[in-house]
Amino acid sequence: QDTAAANVQTQNVADASVPAEVAADGQNAEAAVGADAYKPLGPDMIVGQPTPGGMTFQEQYSPNGEYALWMHDAILLPIIVAISLLVLGLLMWVVVRYNRRSNKVASKTSHNTVIEVIWTLVPVLILVVIAVPSITLLSRQYESPPEDAFTVKVTGYQWYWGYSYPDNGDFEVISNMLDDDEAVARGLPEKLAVDNRMVVPVGEPIRIQTTGADVIHSFALPSLWFKLDAVPGRLNEKMLLIQKPGIYYGQCSELCGVRHGYMPIAIEALPRPQFEAWVLSQGGEIGGEDVSDEPEAADLQEPESSVEGAPGAGAPPVDAEEV
Amino acid sequence: MATTADSFQAHTEEHHHDADHKPSFFARWFMSTNHKDIGTLYLIFAIFAGVIGGGISGIMRAELREPGIQYLGWWVALLGGEAGFDQTLHMWNVLISAHGLIMVFFMVMPAMIGGFANWFVPIMIGAPDMAFPRMNNISFWLTVAGFCSLMISTFMPGGTGLGAGTGWTVYAPLSTSGSPGPAVDFAIFSLHLAGAGSIMGAINFITTIFNMRAPGMTLHKMPLFVWSVLVTAFLLLLALPVLAAAITMLITDRNFGTTFFDPAGGGDPLLYQHLFWFFGHPEVYIMILPGFGMISQIIATFSRKPVFGYLGMAYAMVAIGVVGFIVWAHHMYTVGLDVNTKMYFTAATMVIAVPTGIKIFSWIATMWKGSLTFASPMVWALGFIFLFTVGGVTGVVLANGGIDDNLHDTYYVVAHFHYVLSLGAVTSLFAGFYYWFPKMSGRMHSELLAHIHFWIFFVGVNMIFFPMHFLGMDGMPRRIPDYTPAFAYWNNFATIGYEVMAVSVGVFFVNLIYAFVAGKKAGPNPWGEGATTLEWTLSSPPPFHQFETLPVIDDNHDHSHGGKPATA
Amino acid sequence: MAGAKNHDYHILPPDIWPFVASMSALTFTSGMVLFMHEMANAWLVLGLGVAGLIATFFGWFGKIVAEAQRGDHTPVVQLHLRYGMILFIASEVMFFVGWFWSWFDFALFPTDMTDVIGGIWPPESIEAVMDPFDLPLLNTLILLCSGTTVTWAHHALIHGDREGLKKGLWATIVLGVIFSFIQAFEYMHAPFGFGGNTYSSAFYMATGFHGFHVLMGTIFLIVCLVRTYKGHFTPRQHFGFEAAAWYWHFVDVVWLFLFVTVYVWGGWGAELH
Ligand code: HEA
Ligand code: HEA
Ligand code: CUA
Ligand SMILES: [Cu+2]
Repeated sequence: QDTAAANVQTQNVADASVPAEVAADGQNAEAAVGADAYKPLGPDMIVGQPTPGGMTFQEQYSPNGEYALWMHDAILLPIIVAISLLVLGLLMWVVVRYNRRSNKVASKTSHNTVIEVIWTLVPVLILVVIAVPSITLLSRQYESPPEDAFTVKVTGYQWYWGYSYPDNGDFEVISNMLDDDEAVARGLPEKLAVDNRMVVPVGEPIRIQTTGADVIHSFALPSLWFKLDAVPGRLNEKMLLIQKPGIYYGQCSELCGVRHGYMPIAIEALPRPQFEAWVLSQGGEIGGEDVSDEPEAADLQEPESSVEGAPGAGAPPVDAEEV
Repeated sequence: MATTADSFQAHTEEHHHDADHKPSFFARWFMSTNHKDIGTLYLIFAIFAGVIGGGISGIMRAELREPGIQYLGWWVALLGGEAGFDQTLHMWNVLISAHGLIMVFFMVMPAMIGGFANWFVPIMIGAPDMAFPRMNNISFWLTVAGFCSLMISTFMPGGTGLGAGTGWTVYAPLSTSGSPGPAVDFAIFSLHLAGAGSIMGAINFITTIFNMRAPGMTLHKMPLFVWSVLVTAFLLLLALPVLAAAITMLITDRNFGTTFFDPAGGGDPLLYQHLFWFFGHPEVYIMILPGFGMISQIIATFSRKPVFGYLGMAYAMVAIGVVGFIVWAHHMYTVGLDVNTKMYFTAATMVIAVPTGIKIFSWIATMWKGSLTFASPMVWALGFIFLFTVGGVTGVVLANGGIDDNLHDTYYVVAHFHYVLSLGAVTSLFAGFYYWFPKMSGRMHSELLAHIHFWIFFVGVNMIFFPMHFLGMDGMPRRIPDYTPAFAYWNNFATIGYEVMAVSVGVFFVNLIYAFVAGKKAGPNPWGEGATTLEWTLSSPPPFHQFETLPVIDDNHDHSHGGKPATA
Repeated sequence: MAGAKNHDYHILPPDIWPFVASMSALTFTSGMVLFMHEMANAWLVLGLGVAGLIATFFGWFGKIVAEAQRGDHTPVVQLHLRYGMILFIASEVMFFVGWFWSWFDFALFPTDMTDVIGGIWPPESIEAVMDPFDLPLLNTLILLCSGTTVTWAHHALIHGDREGLKKGLWATIVLGVIFSFIQAFEYMHAPFGFGGNTYSSAFYMATGFHGFHVLMGTIFLIVCLVRTYKGHFTPRQHFGFEAAAWYWHFVDVVWLFLFVTVYVWGGWGAELH
């Protein structure tokens, strides 16, 4: 972990590709404070994001993600491609071989028990081949985090995310999408960049709890193979382990009203020391009373964004106003 | 065979006067009790709805061509709303909801069940009409009423802007506390109305198929299309009432203070999803099984061979229908199910690939050693088999709960279901349409245009929907009007595909006009000796009332795809 | 048409009622929306819709009765009607499955995330429930009893005992009406209001839809009674009566399920009213 920390450090400081405005903007301002001080990662640290024109899954940075990706690429994809090609091939074959010109008189065969048994049993076997890793994957995804795992409670609001940290004094970070100009200025991807990221420690199991404050949202991170709905009146829980420090982007993945498309998710995974520095910078505490023992009841309050001036009622993205 | 057709022809001519006595225009089309006329009404309605639903998808594709919001504000203004920022975004949700609902409830279902099944189930079993002719008519008009209710909803306040923006799934609490205003109520009642019509249709079909088969037409001699409609009707009968209960709960939660889905009163938003998908999954098979049936008829006809493995084909559909009722939660893998539930639904869902595979392979085996000709219906049917397979196998990918954690609510799902619907169900509709159009209208369409229609459509829809797999794997969520530039490339590509596809729909309509204006007159059986089901023994179009003397089905007939009438 | 037909199926002339019914249904649902949102002309639209539906009821069913009397209902057509009724009841069963599903969901998994429920069933906010062995039990007995009276009527009909038929039907209808009155009385004196929590939502909607079905069933029986007075049924052909009886039994069975799961099991352990 220490090396990882050093990595972040050097990369950020040394990287010349960070635009000058960004540094001036205060993005890296705290870099000078000391090794343990928090400073938001710059665009060079984006790890999980869509590839322009991409045709595959995003690369995976969680153990379950790696397993799932393997299962898809090594088992599912070959099988479905093979089946599709088999069907296509057979179709082409009958078209070529058994058209009127090639085969004047149609046979009247309409039964063949052996072949029928074969094409019933072979698919069954194929499905068994799929089911074994599938069940394995599921059971891994449901491994529960250790008792004392670090917890983040994610609340979906219309239309922004709230991340609260019950282990660290229960402060809540409100995360809104940056408007396009701002994102571009910071060198971050439009529609994905946010003002405040969800910061978590890298390399350790995290307990993610989700709930919805108003309607259902879904907390999704493609490059971590993680998706969990945030349902009002429920507290869902799932373990997440991020293997590499950096920024991971996702988007709300359940239709939640008009600005559903403008509800990105950004996680910043940091080595423990930096993470703790961030906690302190947020006014949180380290190693304080563990308030996460009892999962709290979801507050069934009014969506904050309906309150004027609430953080969620943020201004619409700039380019959209030109409509 | 030809002699058979002739003898029936002669028979119908004998009673020509009585049989063809048609009511006046109003009585014929608004008060109809004739299954063929009602079928025609349904088909016209479905084509109309298809054009609207397809047009809406064109607006959607245009908007998605590039990042940013381009046209939505314009559409808001057109509908008479105020194009503020949120209203503009709301428009997107209205469009996708209307598109999904129209395509599912007002295009595919009316075309397959109301249209083709109404026209041909009675004829194929040798019956003069449906069991409940008057109820048949209310099924149609309730569908129209439902459509009207949906259209009205578009012009009503729906919370943020005009129209219902809940998605076709109408999930609570977005559809309850999340969408004040009458729009969503109108949309929900639209499902009540159309659903009531469909339930009555289901009762009608089951009764007709069980009770009105011509002498000698045992269940195991029924054409597979009739089997498919029978299974579909049972799915409708048992699934739709659950939807009716669920959306009634939406109505009372919205308006009368119940808390079925409102957590503040202890309600459970997931309960709605369970109820919806308990209906919703059978619903997707409702949309494909009649297509399976049509494809079976067509493949057999143009292979000049009886269907391979008839009983297996029939019972595969029964199996799909039965298993279809116990897999619903595969639409809910990310809601927070426990691990055992997820494992169960993963396994159960994958099972459906087996009976479906039986169907695919039996179609191919039907063609094996056949003597194939490639009239337009056959080309569409071949296209169907391939495109449906592609859609089906991505369904198997999604069936894996652990894999779906990444793919749920992404464009991969959109790609999957358009391959089985827009490329599967719709392709089977066009196949069936070209197959039966000469029979229904008495005129031949242009085979050339029908082939051109197919190839352009095939290229277009694959261009639209294949890249959506890539978008989904790359992480693009569904139901968003605007996206990060990384997704621009394939979205642009898909929109170009839409333009290609749109040309093909144009060709379809040209063909329709051509057929009515200049099409050759169609004889009783334009497809040759492979067409052995009863409709080909009647004139084209059939007499207003067919089978005034019931046909008798040959006793020692093999189980092909339908009995043939005795030549006596 | 007439004369040419060599089969026993019922080929119908064109009929306007399906169209009227559909448009009335649309008018009715639209009126409901206007009413629920307190919009202009709500009562007018709603009233038109209901009027249309009632007119359809008389117009359409009147025709069916007339056709039956004319002898259009040949044995095979009667068989159609039987299938139709059974399938209709099957769909109704699935409708109630939806309501029972929600009841069991709430009762088996009461949420502890709101004080309204407090993780217990019946929920915290339900101070008392109805005593199942008070009026509900009486209602159970009434419905069971009405099940026997309708069978009595049926037997009388089969044996050509028209007076017995009338008595049986009268008794059934009266029992049905008493049931509805008791149900209404019970609603009015219920220790909990409508909505606001899952218990009363599911309770009222499930029992309410059942009550609505009792009303429909009662009307169906009244129609049969009227037809009896008109001398319609014969010992061999009386499907209209049988359909009403089947429907009544179905309503009866639903009540038994409601009584056991909602009133007895669902309120177990709670304060009684
Ligand atoms: C016609 C409609 C139709 C049909 C037929 C299907 C068929 C199938 N569907 Fe699909 N589906 C939809 C319409 C349909 N679906 C819709 C509309 C949605 C989205 C709804 C929404 O959210 O809005 C959806 C969503 C959906 C999901 C949820 C995805 C998500 O939201 O995350 C899943 C998950 O399991 C799924 C699975 C399947 C499976 C396993 C089949 C199977 O039946 C497919 C079986 C067919 C084959 C497998 C191909 C042929 C078989 C062979 C050649 C034999 C050999 C094959 C093997 C051994 C694999 N579907
Ligand atoms: C049968 C169902 C069906 C069909 C045919 C289609 C057809 C098309 N759909 Fe589909 N679509 C859905 C069902 C369907 N869709 C559903 C359920 C959703 C989800 C909605 C939601 O999220 O709530 C969806 C969502 C959806 C989206 C995602 C929106 C989003 O998530 O933000 C997109 C995006 O491109 C899209 C595009 C298209 C396009 C370009 C077509 C084109 O293929 C359209 C071209 C038109 C035709 C091919 C029809 C022509 C037919 C006739 C003219 C009638 C013929 C009749 C006879 C012959 C009798 N659709
Ligand atoms: Cu929040 Cu979608
Ligand atoms: Cu499904």
